[in-house]
Amino acid sequence: MSDKNTIVFDHVEKTYQKNTVIRDLNLTIPAGQRLILLGPSGCGKSTTLRMIAGLEEITGGELRMGGRRVNEVPSGKRDIAMVFQNYALYPHMTVRENITYALRVHKLDRAELETRLHSVLEILGLEPYVQRKPRELSGGQRQRVALARALVKQSRYLLLDEPLSNLDAQLRVQARKELVKIHDLYQQTFVYVTHDQVEAMTVGQRVALMNQGVLQMVDTPYRVYNRPANIFTAKFIGSPSTNILDADWADGVLHVQGQQIRLPDCWSWLAERSGEHELCLGIRPEHIRLQAGRAENGLTGTLRYVEDYGNKRGIYVDVGGTEVVCMCDRVPCAPGETVSFQLDSDHLHLFSRTTTNSLGYPDEVTESDDTQWDSREELLSYGTSA
Amino acid sequence: MKTKPAVSVSRASLWHIPLAFLVAMALVPVLFALLYSFKSLQSIYGDAGLFTSGFTLDNYRDIARQLPIVQITLNTLTVAVLVTACKLLTSILAAYAFVFTSFRGKTVLYFLLISTIFIPFTVTMIPNYITVSKLNLFDSVLGIVLPQLADATGIFLLRQTMRSIPKSLIEIAELDGISRMRTLRDIILPICRPSIVATGIIFFINSWNEYVWPTLILRSKENYTLSLAMQLFSSSEAGTEFTTVMAMAVISMLIPVVLYLIFQRYIMSTFASSGIKG
Repeated sequence: MSDKNTIVFDHVEKTYQKNTVIRDLNLTIPAGQRLILLGPSGCGKSTTLRMIAGLEEITGGELRMGGRRVNEVPSGKRDIAMVFQNYALYPHMTVRENITYALRVHKLDRAELETRLHSVLEILGLEPYVQRKPRELSGGQRQRVALARALVKQSRYLLLDEPLSNLDAQLRVQARKELVKIHDLYQQTFVYVTHDQVEAMTVGQRVALMNQGVLQMVDTPYRVYNRPANIFTAKFIGSPSTNILDADWADGVLHVQGQQIRLPDCWSWLAERSGEHELCLGIRPEHIRLQAGRAENGLTGTLRYVEDYGNKRGIYVDVGGTEVVCMCDRVPCAPGETVSFQLDSDHLHLFSRTTTNSLGYPDEVTESDDTQWDSREELLSYGTSA
Repeated sequence: MKTKPAVSVSRASLWHIPLAFLVAMALVPVLFALLYSFKSLQSIYGDAGLFTSGFTLDNYRDIARQLPIVQITLNTLTVAVLVTACKLLTSILAAYAFVFTSFRGKTVLYFLLISTIFIPFTVTMIPNYITVSKLNLFDSVLGIVLPQLADATGIFLLRQTMRSIPKSLIEIAELDGISRMRTLRDIILPICRPSIVATGIIFFINSWNEYVWPTLILRSKENYTLSLAMQLFSSSEAGTEFTTVMAMAVISMLIPVVLYLIFQRYIMSTFASSGIKG
């Protein structure tokens, strides 16, 4: 697969009358990559996909596919295949007719058509159903027919709009694996829209998270989970979502809900260099180790409620009026009693309360990144004194 | 558990009683017309029996003697087929445009078009009459057909059906580079077939039974349609020739019944099916 199959959004905007649904979108999807467009309902992910497909007009900026501006190119000339959420199978055609319809209209050589058809039928296990109509198929089989129809085109780009959302949980897990295998086989540039974060993490090589028409973060599933770029990303990814607590940075100490915490040096340095005083502390429920009673340099609260998930327990702790959720193996004490936890330096997130952006991570931010500090000496002197 | 199906079967049977009654109500006039068409005028008075006073084909012979009945039937068929075909074609194209294309003023245009349903025939009759006469189409089949090439009701009905087609079906065709006409032919029309057949039946029956407009346009008996021919016998100077009128009614029914038998499968599926499955 050549680099010609790259998709580039260059300051793309989409407006319906006065309502802007996509704002200044800058995104590059490298050739042959599986990119997931993830976000809550109405965030603009499907609109973004439909702009690539040419089904939505672009009202600002430029969309390039294979290095060529395609804003005005009709969808039929973009070399795209698409799988819709409702599969969009022609109800009056058999599986075979559905898969081969476009090829027959474009008068593809019969031998080539048969080769392609049997190849996709074999890969997707659809051979027994070729003469059936869509209404005679199960949800999973219809989804595979829609995928087969997209694959048989052998197009450069494959777009998928929530293709697994109509399947039951068990079938969805199986279909996810199949999709990854198929992509490895065909190596098309693959853009996949979903609101399901598990699907996004398991299928995607990169995840682009969107909210209210604005791209929040584009990175690998690992980094989106472990290095969220902002509060929205931290809260959206993971279930239960990341605990976010208002915190004030003053005198080298973090003040959280009336309690003071001395951060590890590396985090103190990050907080100080940001120049921000109003911060948010983020910590994932699974990274909290609860203990009964009070802990030195930790956050203390009252255990309020316990949910049993079978393998884990969700423990709700009231920390100065803010609810903090913890995922633990065991319950340290009875509801109403005092519990505490220390902040794990490896699993901490600090965000600016004004911009909601992450302050960064100690192992990633280097002095050369710093623009607010005048000199390396000053930075280092802070690091040693903190 | 075992009694449950028996209960539902007997309930279903009970429903057949009112249904049978409704069928009988619909059939009685047909049977009445059929029966009386084979009787003489004298025998129908005071003789309610089946054919106690004899079976006769005189009524049909009378019609054949007085009128070019084959020609009249063909005229009616030509008008009905032409009107149905043209109305369906224009309705399909207009409904497609209203559903699958976007253009300025679409909604306004649609409601303007639909509002024409409420304009009575008597309002458009005179302007149409003048137009047809100026085109020298008096006393011709084309003169009857011309003002009936489009129908707002058909556009409305087919638009409603096309709106129920998921937009993604059309978008996938667009993505595959399939032309609009091809999409209409290969995807939309087969999906809408039940509605198209139903609308076609309405158009055909309306045109077949049409009376006022042909009365205004047609003059010579060779160009008559069946409804005009029937009127000749029901308002003749010698009074209504009741049995001949019944024979004319039977002739009028003949082609619609034959067409029904031919298209029965489609007609039944039309009324049995609804929505897009699968």
